[in-house]
Order: sequence, then C-alpha cells, then structure tokens
Amino acid sequence: MPSTIINGVEIELDEDGFMIDPDLWNEDVARALAASEGIDELTEDHWKIINYLRDYFKQYHIAPMVRKLCKETGCSLKYIYDLFPSGPAKGACKLAGLPKPTGCV
Amino acid sequence: MPEYKGMVQPVRATPEEMRKIHIEPVPDEQKPQKALEYLDQIRKKFRSFVMAMESCTKCGQCAENCHTYLGTRDPNNIPTNRAELIRKIYKRYFTLEGRWFGKLVGAEDISLDVIEQWYSYFYQCSQCRRCAHVCPFGIDTCEVTFIGRQILHWLGITPKLHASVGAAMEKVGNHTGLPKPGIVDTLEFMSEEIMDEFGVEVEFPVDKPDSDIMYIPSSADFLLNPYTLMGAGMFFTYIGANWTIPSTVTEAGNFGLLFDQYWTQRGNVMRLLNAAQELGVKKIVWGECGHGWRAAKMYIPSLADRPVRWPITHIHDEIADLIRKNELKLDPSKNSKPVTLHDPCNYVRACGLNENMRTIIRAVTTDFREMTPHGADNFCCGGGSAILFDDPEMYQRRILLSKKKAEQVRATGVGKNGDGILCAPCSICKAQLYPMVEEHELGVEVKGLVDLVGKALVWK
Amino acid sequence: MKLLIGQILPYITVTLFTLGILYRLGRWAGARIIHNITLSPWLQNNTQVAVRIGSEAFLFRNLFRFDLALWAGAFLMHFALLNILGGHIVGFGFLGEQFALIPFLGITPELSKEMSDLLGTVFGILLFVALLYLLYRRLALTHVKQVTRLSDNLWLVYLLVLVGVGNIMRLVPAFHIEYELVRDYIVALALFQPVVHMELLNSGFFLTHYLLVQILLIVFPYSKLMHLFGMFAERWIVNRVYHDPAPGLPNVDVAAARAAGIGVPADAAEEGV
Repeated sequence: MPSTIINGVEIELDEDGFMIDPDLWNEDVARALAASEGIDELTEDHWKIINYLRDYFKQYHIAPMVRKLCKETGCSLKYIYDLFPSGPAKGACKLAGLPKPTGCV
Repeated sequence: MPEYKGMVQPVRATPEEMRKIHIEPVPDEQKPQKALEYLDQIRKKFRSFVMAMESCTKCGQCAENCHTYLGTRDPNNIPTNRAELIRKIYKRYFTLEGRWFGKLVGAEDISLDVIEQWYSYFYQCSQCRRCAHVCPFGIDTCEVTFIGRQILHWLGITPKLHASVGAAMEKVGNHTGLPKPGIVDTLEFMSEEIMDEFGVEVEFPVDKPDSDIMYIPSSADFLLNPYTLMGAGMFFTYIGANWTIPSTVTEAGNFGLLFDQYWTQRGNVMRLLNAAQELGVKKIVWGECGHGWRAAKMYIPSLADRPVRWPITHIHDEIADLIRKNELKLDPSKNSKPVTLHDPCNYVRACGLNENMRTIIRAVTTDFREMTPHGADNFCCGGGSAILFDDPEMYQRRILLSKKKAEQVRATGVGKNGDGILCAPCSICKAQLYPMVEEHELGVEVKGLVDLVGKALVWK
Repeated sequence: MKLLIGQILPYITVTLFTLGILYRLGRWAGARIIHNITLSPWLQNNTQVAVRIGSEAFLFRNLFRFDLALWAGAFLMHFALLNILGGHIVGFGFLGEQFALIPFLGITPELSKEMSDLLGTVFGILLFVALLYLLYRRLALTHVKQVTRLSDNLWLVYLLVLVGVGNIMRLVPAFHIEYELVRDYIVALALFQPVVHMELLNSGFFLTHYLLVQILLIVFPYSKLMHLFGMFAERWIVNRVYHDPAPGLPNVDVAAARAAGIGVPADAAEEGV
C-alpha cells in the first residue's frame, strides 16, 4: 500500500492515490495530493471547491452530484476541469480526501 | 502494476477488500488446482457453458463482429479465442479428444499464467453478446466470460472497481455508496432544478409507504446524470403516478451479474424484493441501466428465493406504451438537435427494448438518425460489463474498445456541427461515452432517453 | 485387411458411433438451462422458433447475414454433403433407379441411372471444391487463421482425402464400382453373413474410402463434428419463446392528472401559461 508522510503523519493512499482514512485530511495533505496531480498551486477557487466537497461529505457521507457542485460553487464543469485536470470526481474529490467514487462513474 | 507478462489487467481488489465481500483469496500455489475444481463444479451445472465449450467449429465469424477485436486486433480478443482460454483447459481435463490428442486440438495444462490470462481477457470482454447474436450456432460466449469471472472471483481475483461496488451494494444497497440523506438531498436539489429550468413542481418521494409504483433509478444518475433523474421524476408526476424511490435499493444495476452471480447478484435481488414488500407497491419500474435491466428482467425469476408478486417493467416500456396510446403530449421541437441512438447491448439483445426505444425517440426528437448497424445488430460502447477502469493502461484500452462506436457515430453526421446528441440510455454506456466522445472528438453530447422525454413533455 | 475393414470393423463402428452419440448427448442434457438467456428480439410462438432454428440449421441464416463468402462456402459444402449422403442411401438402395419411382414424371430406369450418375458427379466435385475453399480460408484469412487449431485443418484435409477417393471411383472408369456390388455387400453385412469373399472388397479405393468413413464415424461423437447436434442443443437455449409482461401502470389516469394540472404551479395554472 503506497503512503506518504506529511507533517510527520503517515497517510495511507490506495492505488489511485485516494486517501484511505478521510479523517486524517488537512490542508497540507491537500497540497501534497495536488502536487501528485500536477497542480502547482492551490488557488482560492481550488479551496472553494475542496471545502465545499468536504462540507458536503461530512454531512452526507457521499460526494454531491456534479451539477450541484457546479451550481453551489459557481464554477462551470469546464472550469473545474481547468482547476483539476482529472475532473471533479477523480481530481477534486481526491484532493478533498474523499474516497474514490465507485459504480458507473 | 496493471500488467502481467505483457497483458493489460485491471487493478485488483486487495485481500482485505475481497474478505469484505465474503471471499478468502486462494494462495497462488493452490490457484491452479482450485480453478480446476471450480470449473468442474460449474460445467456440470450450466448447459449454456457446456455448449459453448463443446460445439464451436471455429468458423471465425465472431471475429470481425466483436468491437473488442476490431479495436485491439489482439487474437485473444476474438470471442471464440477468448472462450478458448477456458476451453483449452476444459478440453485437457474434461474431454476425450483433449486427453488423447491434446496437442492437435490445442488443449493445455492449467497454470497460474493461464489464470492471469483469464483475468486480462475476461475483463476486456463487454459481455455484449454480439458474438452470440451473429454465431451460426448461437453460442453465447458471454456465458464463458461470466463463468471465467466467477471462477476468478472465487480465487480472489476481482477488479477493485467491481469488488468495491459489491461492498457498497451490501452496505447501502447501491453501487456508489449513497446513503439515504445523500439520496434525499440530491432529489430535493433535482426538484429545485426542475422548477428553475422547466417551471414545474416535481417531488421525488423516497420510501413512501403504500406507493403503487416503485421506481428503481441507477445510482450513477445521482452523481452524473441529472436529466435522467429529472426526466423520470417529471414523467411520473406528469402522469399523476403514486410512486416512490426506495432508499434501501436505489440501484438499477447489479454488478453481481458481471462478476459474482452466486452471491452478490442474488443478494441485491433479495434486497429489492424486501423493499417492494415493505413499501407495499404494486409494480416495479426500472430505470436506465443496461446490465441491470437484464439482471432484473431475465434473472430475478431464476434467482428469487420466493414468489415474485410484482410485475417488473422498464420505464421505456411504460413511456412507449403511453405514447402509443397517445396519452402524452410531447413537443419534439424541444429536442431539435441532431440525435442518434446507441443501443445498449443488454436492451436490444437480451431484453427486447429495441422497438420501444425507437417509439420514444421518434416522438421526442425532430432530427433522429439511425447509426449503422443499429438495433440488435448494434455494437457495444466498449464499456459493457463495467470495464470502466481508469488507470492509465486500461483507460487506453477503453479508447480502443470504443473505436467502432466512434466510427458509427461519426458516420451518422450528427456531430458535424459540434451540437449533436448521442442518446445512450444506460449508465455504463454513459460513463463510458462521456469521456470517449471527447477522446474521439465526436462533437456530441451524451444523453439518456428519459432525459429527452422530460424535456419534451408539454404540461399545459 | 479385407476381413478387418470389411467384415469386423463395420459392427464395431456402428456400436461405437451410436454409444458415443448417446454419451455426448447425455453429457449435454446433464447440465441444465439455469437462467433465461434467450436472445431478443423475442420469438412469439413455437412456429417462429421452428422457423428460426430451421433457417439457421438448414439455410445458415446468420452466415448469410454477416459473411456472404463464408456462407457460400459452408452452405455449398453442407448442401453437397447432404446430397451425397442421401445419394449413397437411395443410389445403392434403388440401384440408381430411384427417380423412376416418382410417379407421373415418366422417367425411365435408364434415365434415372444417368441422372443419378450426373448428380453424384456434380455434388462430388462441388463438395471437394467447397472443402478446398474452407481450407483456403483457414490458411489465408488472418482472423480465421487466428482461431484455427491444427485439428481444424486436419479435419478438412481428412475430408478432402475421403471425398477425393470417392471422386476417383466415380470419375475414373477403371475404378468405377457398380451399385449392385455395394448393395449386396450391405445386405449381407446387415444379415450377419460372411462378406470377405465379395468382389467389392477387391477394390483398394473402396477399402480406403470405406476405412476412412469408419474411422470418421468412430471419432465423430468426440469431435467438433458433433456440431451437427450441438447446433440444435445451443439454439434450444438461446432461441425460445418469451412474452413481455404487459405495460400499464397501476392507478394511473393521465387524462385526469393533466386535467388536474399536477405539477403545474398554482400561479402558472391561473395565468394559463
């Protein structure tokens, strides 16, 4: 199992680089995961999306519908792809520490 | 990692993940022996499998009719050769010709390499059954892939994607892991969206007791396919139905069909029947999901552990029926972009939805163009049986597997001006085609069929 | 050799062939049809099933629809084979005079014999050519080559030799064999009488042809040739009658729902939007 050490804490990741334990998430982890996704710097818009995803996940234990994510953050899907090249599910969710989505997605 | 001796393979579930779905992985050194045992057990049970093993003449007709072979040109992706990966073992151990003339008929000893070969090629097959459809004998190679994957599963070899879906099904009753609060929140959001866009009031009742109709949507609709969900809600509201969505089985799919028919598939059937009984419904209506519709329509009768008291139909059956009876007021000009229909394999070759889909699409669009071939002859999207793997190697395969579909869509010309619609009314097709239409630059947007119905409904 | 091939082996062949077929069919019947895996569009009644299975079995419908060249080769081969098998039975049984037995056509026994000869010659050559074409496909077309095992080619070569020897007896006058000789031999064999002395068994070509046929029959039940029966067993699984459950939703009255304006917001309804 791959893992990475951030601020002295070992963070376990799955084969696709998603966090195994979302509770260990913090902003430094997000920055480290961003680097692995080839994102140099997390801008305000990145954080807006990451924080929305985290809040939603905390409440509902699932990622929101992509359409809802766009609407609530005011970012178009295309813009989200600009921010997170792997897309909302596999890019943004990963940085937000959400588990990898399963099923027909 | 997703490669074994030059063969691509999907990322596997870890032993821990396998245990979550009740499988204790078999140690490597025991795998060949166990594989033989399982094979022996299964071959005595399924005639469809025995016939696929014993009556192929190798005429080669299936080759050019398989999108997987057309896309990869890998000889092992010719349907009869894919079946041969098991057949060579079957011949060696269970037939006279293989025991006596092994070399001549291509029989082979079981080994770990062969098992790894199964894992690579049975997860490149879409189980689309186009080979069964074109075979002069009607040999159903899909049955071989089913059984190959079942044996692999018992050995502890299952893709991470399928295993995690199996675990999610058991935990919450759907593939994406949606818990009830998430379901309700998304449906409320859908109501708002419908009001914003169409100006109508639609409610999505969840777990409403004494409903007449239980609607089973695909859980992927909650993440990716908003218009399919909206379309269904608008349709049921429009006709004044007393309907509900069950939170315990918010899933039209059943990945069990695809990798574990013995336990996973059966488990979800029982869940469904429990929900129908608890909610006191009179009829079950299925949402847009290809393999799931086959699993429901064709397998529930033989998998159920009790009499099934509820008729089960597909939402397309019901919409088409009302269109034929002229009970829906539809404005096709609401969908005036050029549109073509991708036939989900399970709909047209396993579930007879061919005509109903066309009845609907002709009634709700103005510029419908058939692709060639279409209907039961149509090709798979390349994602069939949920081979929607996204690690780099397998993702490249998916592009190859969708090459034929891309050619077909291009030939219709619907995407020429970049504003075409590719109607693909199945969650796997949608998940496969969303990225693939970009990879192949087809100039089309992927939509469900219920999506188009929702837009065309005339309310007043 | 005459004793072995002409007198002893035939009884062994018939026994092994029959038992072998029964064994194989029993083996198929032992496994069951568990789930309904019928292919759609559905067949609606048993007549349609019979027509579908019949057209696949006797006209090779799917080959015709998806690969015309293969259809031509396979259909010619099997059609010629069927006629030759039939020709062997009626030809020897009626000494070539079978067509004279058809009433009202006025065919003389002599004409019938000539017709019999002609048909035998034509189908013999056709069968040989069609087999050659099927072998050519296996050697020349990439995708067929990729599915071919050694045994597939050997079967074709075997049949070519078998048919070739048969054609020599038909086409080369010196090796020609009269119908009577074969009929008398078969009758004697069926009556369990000694046949070793019979003139027929002096022909080397006949003995070869006959031996090849017997080996083929012995191996038949354990080989791919069983697709003759497999065809029907497989189709019986995928081509069945299926009736969709009736559509129609409980307690749904669309007209009433629309008249009540369900879904249309109250203010919009008043304004008549």
